[in-house]
Amino acid sequence: MKKSSMTRRLFLLSTGAAATGLIVGCSTAGPKGKGYSAIAGAFEPNSFIQITPDHQVIFYLPSSEMGQGILDGLTTLIAEELRVQPTAIDVRQASLHQDYKNPEMGMQATGGSNATRAQFLPLRQAAADTAAAIRNAAAKQLDQPLDKILLADGNVVVGDKSYGFGDFVAVAALMPVPENSPLRSPAQFDQIGRERPRLDALDKSTGTAEFGIDAEVENLYRAAVVRSPVLGAALESFDASAALKQSGVVDVVQIKSGVAVVAQSYWQARKAATSLELKWEKTELGSWSSESIYKNFTDSLNDSSQKGLECCNEGEGDKLLNQSETMVAADYYAPYLAHATMEPLNCTVAVEGDSCKIYVGTQSVQVSAGAAVYYGDFDADKVKMHPAFLGGGFGRRSLGDDVAEAVAIAKQSGRNIQLVWSREDDMSNDFYRPAALVRMQAGVSKQGLIETWAVRRVGPNIMGHMVDAWLEVLAPDYLNKGFTDWLSKLGHPLFNRFVADASNGDGIYGDYDTPNKAVRHVTQDPGLRTGFWRSVGHSSNAFFKESFIDELAQRAGIDELQFRLANMKNNPRLTEATELVAAKAGWGKPLPEGHFHGLATHSSFGSAVAQIAEVSIKGTQIIVHKVTAAIHCGMVVNPEIVRDQVEGGIMYGLTAALYGEITLVDGVVQQSNFHNYPMLRMADAPEVEVHIVESQEHPEGVGEPGLPPLAPAVANAVFKASGQRLRDLPLRLG
Amino acid sequence: MINFQLNNSPVEVDIDPDTPLLWVVRDHFKLKGSKFGCGMGLCGACTMHLNGEAVRTCTLPISAVQGAVITSIEGLGTPDNLHPLQQAWVEHSVPQCGYCQSGQLMSASALLAKNPNPSDDDIVTAMNGNICRCGTYSKIKSAIKSVSKSGAAAMRNKESMVETFDPATANLKREANS
Ligand code: FES
Ligand code: FES
Repeated sequence: MKKSSMTRRLFLLSTGAAATGLIVGCSTAGPKGKGYSAIAGAFEPNSFIQITPDHQVIFYLPSSEMGQGILDGLTTLIAEELRVQPTAIDVRQASLHQDYKNPEMGMQATGGSNATRAQFLPLRQAAADTAAAIRNAAAKQLDQPLDKILLADGNVVVGDKSYGFGDFVAVAALMPVPENSPLRSPAQFDQIGRERPRLDALDKSTGTAEFGIDAEVENLYRAAVVRSPVLGAALESFDASAALKQSGVVDVVQIKSGVAVVAQSYWQARKAATSLELKWEKTELGSWSSESIYKNFTDSLNDSSQKGLECCNEGEGDKLLNQSETMVAADYYAPYLAHATMEPLNCTVAVEGDSCKIYVGTQSVQVSAGAAVYYGDFDADKVKMHPAFLGGGFGRRSLGDDVAEAVAIAKQSGRNIQLVWSREDDMSNDFYRPAALVRMQAGVSKQGLIETWAVRRVGPNIMGHMVDAWLEVLAPDYLNKGFTDWLSKLGHPLFNRFVADASNGDGIYGDYDTPNKAVRHVTQDPGLRTGFWRSVGHSSNAFFKESFIDELAQRAGIDELQFRLANMKNNPRLTEATELVAAKAGWGKPLPEGHFHGLATHSSFGSAVAQIAEVSIKGTQIIVHKVTAAIHCGMVVNPEIVRDQVEGGIMYGLTAALYGEITLVDGVVQQSNFHNYPMLRMADAPEVEVHIVESQEHPEGVGEPGLPPLAPAVANAVFKASGQRLRDLPLRLG
Repeated sequence: MINFQLNNSPVEVDIDPDTPLLWVVRDHFKLKGSKFGCGMGLCGACTMHLNGEAVRTCTLPISAVQGAVITSIEGLGTPDNLHPLQQAWVEHSVPQCGYCQSGQLMSASALLAKNPNPSDDDIVTAMNGNICRCGTYSKIKSAIKSVSKSGAAAMRNKESMVETFDPATANLKREANS
């Protein structure tokens, strides 16, 4: 019934000998319980791989490609075990199916830098079993002993004869698919670990990579939504009479988050939206501004009767704090931040009777589909997902709020619509990285060993807001809507009062060998919604921890590198990364006049990263000349992408460290576009050098770990250069 | 009715005259390579060439395009016939999410067409209006330099021709740049 419009050819890699092209389309759930539609005559051993009679290997990519290079990485795993060139594989973004759930998360989602780690063995196993099935079929069909059948470069090789995989798919399809076939050993790897340009580079250099915003369907109208200036306020009343008179406008509909104008073109919808008259109800958030929020955090920090929730309590906790030779204390602050993905949120919906097609770049096909079911009131099996490339994710595209709006508009107006958020919409309707005010305290021995580590944190949580957003769209069908709504509101009290939100403690106590640790978090939440922002809790906690470590070292009169190494004896990965970066950057060696080094080290998402920033000061301007980084992330699938991700994390982190700050006046976000929420540009981008620690261990995260150490590395260098210890982000010299 | 030249073809469009060129190219002509990032001329994702100059098309009303020669990323090169910069982009594995890269390439190609051997400062000046949220700046820089060094940019016929568009006949005249 449905023709597969997704098998469009997007890749035609003209480089490389074996290039036959790489297709990014998406799968639609098919028969026989597989995640894709069957292809006549193809061998379909599992939901990840199809091999057609004309020798084409198709791989269904279970993770979302948002720049982190997972398309390349996971395709490489398939290529390795299947003995095919990665460039010869057609890659299609997997649609919704249980087989594509991330094995660690138990849901179909991409985040937490775990896609390679979680799928390193399962995907290789799927490919190895497929390879074994092809060999078995060839042995049977050619009547040859199995050990004479070899796979090489996408071919079945028997003596001096060579066949395509497709020659054996018919027989393979009739035989049982082997299980637990042996995997290739690291010594045999010729694809994993190889230096090679990423597979999606060509599409992304020719404008042919398809992002969510590029979707086109028949009879498509465009929509723009006006939302409350104070995020989350309910609509009191609205007058659309002026908007309805504007050229091209066909409809104005009210949805949960605001009012949508539907027009023939985007520009018409956008223009008409400005003539809507809207009245919003007052909310609690409307009574807060950045100053009052900061004061509230400060009062809370100083009010010891507010105990907060325990994130960590080891040894004697903070009881012995005053018994050490030296006690050091300092308060730090990190502001709210927006994600500012380069592609603003958008979603395209085509409705056909009681079913719909959703075109969207999403970190979770599952969440997005859930949003369509819940907000569009579609039956789950009537929603067809068409996931596209993401123009940046960074945690933002994991909520389904784009889909929720788009399906509601499409449903109410009875039209196919594309909803595109303006940059202003995107900036002021984010799920922000939470602000935090933190008191760091430590007791240090005469020898410079940290004896007690105590942290008191104040700020909002993430999980309450996420439960709000997620529960509705992930709740099982048997829960009725009213019950789900009620349940989702429980998230806030739960995380605010009873259960510590793990992200508050992420990375703030784990790296050093302190016997006594106590970390508590006091929830103060003005109500601005928060979410996962690249590296989540680590994004601010690394700044607090690593700036403070420098303060401890300096108070103890010990070199900052030596102080760290002496206090991380139980952290071999971080030690290796730290020693490597120190050697590569020339820690302690002379630098150009006026240049200073700052060091920071941090583990997150299974990987350890150390960075040294080379900084100078001009007036009150902080100039970052160079950042040298070392990462220990276990085995590397594509070194080029690991280096790119660390560099990308550094640039993302530097934007935050130098400029990033979302502020509120009477609950209204003050930043709207790149003039008042600036991004790092080429002129200010430092030279970056990334070194990878050689390792045969299981692969760990790379998408996020490059970010956390950047801000403290720069702040620590700024202290050396200026004598000013900057304890608030963004870094501003007085 | 507005007439102009889009990627070497004469086109005409009847649309609200204040509609930005970006949306006309994307939604009317269905060429989706140019991207929307900010709508305020601040990020460069929408960059195309107007008579050879890199311009931000999210703020350029279609009425200002009458008679002009417009090149979008689709006209710069195709997967089968890459512009030398696109070849360099692939070889240097520049893109991450890729969303900004059409705009980056249009700014870079306009630069090299005028200045085949730009200094580092020239590159920064030409490219500073293009934001890359993924932070691919250093690779963009080295990809541009690899092309400028080989002089490949100047070899590209298209870039060394002067194109003039006659709206009356909707014809494009190409002359060698003397
Ligand atoms: S979209 Fe045109 S400059 Fe940003
Ligand atoms: S590659 Fe993602 S914004 Fe540039």
